[in-house]
Amino acid sequence: MAPALLVLLGVLAYPIADALILSFSDVRFAAGGIQRDLIGTANYERLLADPTFALALRNSLYFTLVEVVAVTLLGLAVALLLNTPSGRKAIFPVILLIPWALAPVANAVLWKWIYNANHGILNAIGLQLGLIDQKVVWLGDPWMALNMILIADAWKAIPFISLLLLAGLQNIPSHLYRAARVDGASAWGRFRHVTLPGLRVPLLVAIVLQSIWALKVFDLIYVLTKGGPRDGSVVLNFLAWRVTFNFLDVGYGAAIANVLFVLMFVLAIGYVRVLDPERQRRRRAALPAADPAEVTA
Amino acid sequence: MGRWTTRFGLAVFVVLALGPIAWGVVTSLMPTKALTRSPPDLALSNLTLSNYVEVLTTRGNLVDALIDSAIVATLTASMSLALGSAAAYALARLRVPGANRILLAVLAIQMFPGIVIAIPLFLVYSQLRIVDTYPALAITYLSFTLPVVIWILKGFFEAIPPQLERAAAVDGASAFQTFRMVILPISLPALFAAGIFAFIEAWNEFFFAIILTRVQIKTVPMAIAEFSGQYQTLYGQMLAAAVLASIPVVVLAIVFRRFILQGFVEGAVKG
Repeated sequence: MAPALLVLLGVLAYPIADALILSFSDVRFAAGGIQRDLIGTANYERLLADPTFALALRNSLYFTLVEVVAVTLLGLAVALLLNTPSGRKAIFPVILLIPWALAPVANAVLWKWIYNANHGILNAIGLQLGLIDQKVVWLGDPWMALNMILIADAWKAIPFISLLLLAGLQNIPSHLYRAARVDGASAWGRFRHVTLPGLRVPLLVAIVLQSIWALKVFDLIYVLTKGGPRDGSVVLNFLAWRVTFNFLDVGYGAAIANVLFVLMFVLAIGYVRVLDPERQRRRRAALPAADPAEVTA
Repeated sequence: MGRWTTRFGLAVFVVLALGPIAWGVVTSLMPTKALTRSPPDLALSNLTLSNYVEVLTTRGNLVDALIDSAIVATLTASMSLALGSAAAYALARLRVPGANRILLAVLAIQMFPGIVIAIPLFLVYSQLRIVDTYPALAITYLSFTLPVVIWILKGFFEAIPPQLERAAAVDGASAFQTFRMVILPISLPALFAAGIFAFIEAWNEFFFAIILTRVQIKTVPMAIAEFSGQYQTLYGQMLAAAVLASIPVVVLAIVFRRFILQGFVEGAVKG
């Protein structure tokens, strides 16, 4: 067990600690070596004044919020569909696995083609259906580009969430539904009082995981827009990469990365707390053991 | 929900889920000339494998990229299994205090943005002069494959009845011998599933790949990204490259779907 821990410590713990130190440093590549000088909080002060950072932060928050809501709602819809008698065929989960397995870069290339202004199929369909009068340059406007990236990412993300929620749905004991029906609950009532509470844990897991993944988007931006146009699709992750590896401003890049890290750390703590084994055990112990419907039968 | 609403919903779902992919595959089988005509010429007589041939031979160096990716992914998967199985067994059997919490914490940590660990790792690798080597990349990938491999295997090991190990102990086997000769052979399905998972993750990975390589190594995602930038008007070939890159992992996912879907079930119940 020790070797595995050593590797993880080396590859995770050490870099995270070092990244913190780097963010308080000014790093230069000089004469085939690396020069590091501690400069206190200067990098972070720069962050606060940097309009590109503010833009990246806004974009990241918007992107994450919208994607989580969209993916969770649509994922739930798909899961509900697959939980019906017609939807229970074995082929449907397999259909979901295909977008899931694609490399994010392959997905990016696919959507680059779909969004192509001249020959892309989105324009073709839009024109055919009369939804647009002329070809749209989908990635040409900063705001629209960000949203098209969102759509491409959501498309790939929904399968995982659907499968997770589907497993959660199938885990809800059917006698709860029967009991609700006996009590005269409508379809909506059953959904509100049986389905949703039963999905509480999977939904929370889905929300936290999707938030973390939304903040990590990179491949799509790299392939589709490289952050453009006019930095419209720059998010924190991409900005940190650009600052570090394009501008070689390693200390500043580390500072941006750490801000992102803090955001995700908060989310990760949420994840751990939702799934805390101790808490789960306490919750399960508190649930009523007997089935009320059977007692009255 | 009415029967027909459900059927309609399912149909919409299938179209939206597979439509883009189907379109991508069709595009890869059409010559770019036909695709750029206005309106695009989608006659079935145009179907051709020329894009694939071009991408594999003359233009994309895709064959080299496929080999590089195969090496890295296999290296990552084997290292993950070697290290992860031992760790998982220890966590499952050798009563480490707070094992579940540790595991959860490690799983949570690996969700952190790659950029945070990429920068320091790049600096260290630069100084050790191991940037652009297969092991450097594989070790970096361990940061996100090890936790999940351990998670999968631990669950499996916990379910093995302890009688087997007791019988081996009675016969005089040490803990390690028990592990090697009793536990591992019966764990092949789980080992396979975990290894496949690590392989897929390593194969699809892009971010660390572009940061930690220079000239020697180019993985498939890098090749595709480069292709989509350099030859972006060669639509047919661009899509052919993407399809080629995806075939291995999609096939793996479909073949091992039962394990993957089982993993989702457990994720929903226990997280």
